[in-house]
Amino acid sequence: MTTVHSQPTLQARGVFKNYGAIKVLKNVSLDVMPGTTHAVIGPNGAGKTTLFKVLSGEVFASEGSVAFEDRDVSKVPGYARVRSGIGRTFQVARVFGEESVMDNMALALESREASKPGHLLGALKVARSSAVLDECMEILGQVGLAGRTREQAGVLAYGERKRLELAMTLALKPRMLLLDEPMAGMSPGDRIAAVELLSRISKELSMSILLTEHDMSVVFALADHVTVLNYGEVIASGSPEEVKASPLVREVYLGH
Amino acid sequence: MKPIDFNKNKGTDLLLGALLLVAFLAVPLWADKGLIFLAGVALVHIVFALSFNTISGLSGMVSFGHAAYFAIGAYSSGLILRNWPEGSIFIAIAAGGIAGGVLAAVIGMVALRRSSGNYFAILTLAFAELLHILIAKSSWFGREDGLTGIQRPLINVPGMGAVNLTDGNNMFYFILALSMLLLCGAWVIWHSQFGRQLAAIRQEPDRAAFLGVNIHQSRLIAFSLSGIGAGFAGAMYAPLAQLLTPEVAHWSFSALPILFCLLGGTAIFWGPVAGVLVFLGLEHSTRNIIGLSEVVIGTTLLFVVLVFPGGIAGGLVRLKQAWFKKPVQDEVPEFFTENGVKS
Repeated sequence: MTTVHSQPTLQARGVFKNYGAIKVLKNVSLDVMPGTTHAVIGPNGAGKTTLFKVLSGEVFASEGSVAFEDRDVSKVPGYARVRSGIGRTFQVARVFGEESVMDNMALALESREASKPGHLLGALKVARSSAVLDECMEILGQVGLAGRTREQAGVLAYGERKRLELAMTLALKPRMLLLDEPMAGMSPGDRIAAVELLSRISKELSMSILLTEHDMSVVFALADHVTVLNYGEVIASGSPEEVKASPLVREVYLGH
Repeated sequence: MKPIDFNKNKGTDLLLGALLLVAFLAVPLWADKGLIFLAGVALVHIVFALSFNTISGLSGMVSFGHAAYFAIGAYSSGLILRNWPEGSIFIAIAAGGIAGGVLAAVIGMVALRRSSGNYFAILTLAFAELLHILIAKSSWFGREDGLTGIQRPLINVPGMGAVNLTDGNNMFYFILALSMLLLCGAWVIWHSQFGRQLAAIRQEPDRAAFLGVNIHQSRLIAFSLSGIGAGFAGAMYAPLAQLLTPEVAHWSFSALPILFCLLGGTAIFWGPVAGVLVFLGLEHSTRNIIGLSEVVIGTTLLFVVLVFPGGIAGGLVRLKQAWFKKPVQDEVPEFFTENGVKS
């Protein structure tokens, strides 16, 4: 924990994103430092999800750059950013609904293996090795889904589906996690469990996490650093306490 | 907790494959020449339909121009066998498969740039029509009259010496052996890691991409493999029929695998096989009732699609589940929806 890293894991510099005449992001910069949890907050329509799309490579920035571990990834497509170590979940959890929980996990593990060079013949393998299944079980255990392996993913409860998606992302062994509203739509009980899970992940795996969230109690419980977006611009950035104390943030977002 | 057995259907699949093989092996024992020929055509269509289902049922891509790959395979193999009667039929058939794969790769590179849905479907149809016109107008391919004089060279089978394929039974057994090999290939693709990845892309392309899957590349490979399969089907058809007309590149020929798959079911590997057998069976048994044949086939198709949305194979699986009192799953992928998103 005491290791001092000077370089951010993920860095955005002067990012603009325009959809036609609409400027969704205006000169957004942020640094996610290694092993820390960084939250992006702001009102609806502030550009949080667009920022996520730019950082994950779903869309490219109109201007500005994105760097991952000192490498400029601005023009690297999403799947390749995943391969280099950036995992991502969606605001509305996306899993393979026709497959079982276990099959979903195995798909994630297999895509991790498939992205390694020299995997051409492995793609034709029909059987799954017990090593793959064991690793799936281990990660499912971490997110508390070990008892649901045979369940069809499409019929899982919403909170479970979110946990499955997180487990699939963790299976890729990322060094950076992008979580778009990880708690959205969860019951209060699920939220507490999820906060616990995320803080455990960030500590035990010393993973860098960037998340957006509307629930301020979640943000202040998890984040080491908070960036506030409003109308596509960064209006404040700092420790949770600093941000909470900022009059501008109180005015546009916290509302008290 | 015990890991789950993922290959529980392997035994059933092996049994079904063996049944299919035995049923076809027995055809020359009881059938007349016409029926044996029809059984050969059925095998060709099984390969054609399976190749089509690799992209539609498995990957969720809608192609309306699959006849193009069948046709280029058929004409490649036909031209080689016509101009080189003493040559090897294996080379001719391999050339057909390669031609189908190359054409699919080229068309896929253009058509998959934008989407794998409607835009893709229309582009594949347009390319297939282009090929149809090219074949119908070019003297090289025999124009509208067709390509005739396609020879069936002798082949050397170890232990049996030279086998004369001009004999209808020998030709049938030859097609049977090749079709079964291709069916095994399709089964491996369908059940392999790559096949599972394609099914994942069909269900949630964004999730697949953010598991690190290059979905554009995977779709292009799937489409090319499908083109190889259709090319092989055409390449077998040329020496079997010994006459090729531009009809095999016509859009109505592209509709055949779609009908086979709708009838048989797209979600299950054996669906298209069932579709071909039932479709050709109906067509054959109603061939003498002039004008009524289409009505019978159309009504059957309508009935199956309305009553069993998962086709014949899907219906059988439901029956089996009901029989063993297992909960019925409605998760049969829809056919004509973009990227397999359920409507």
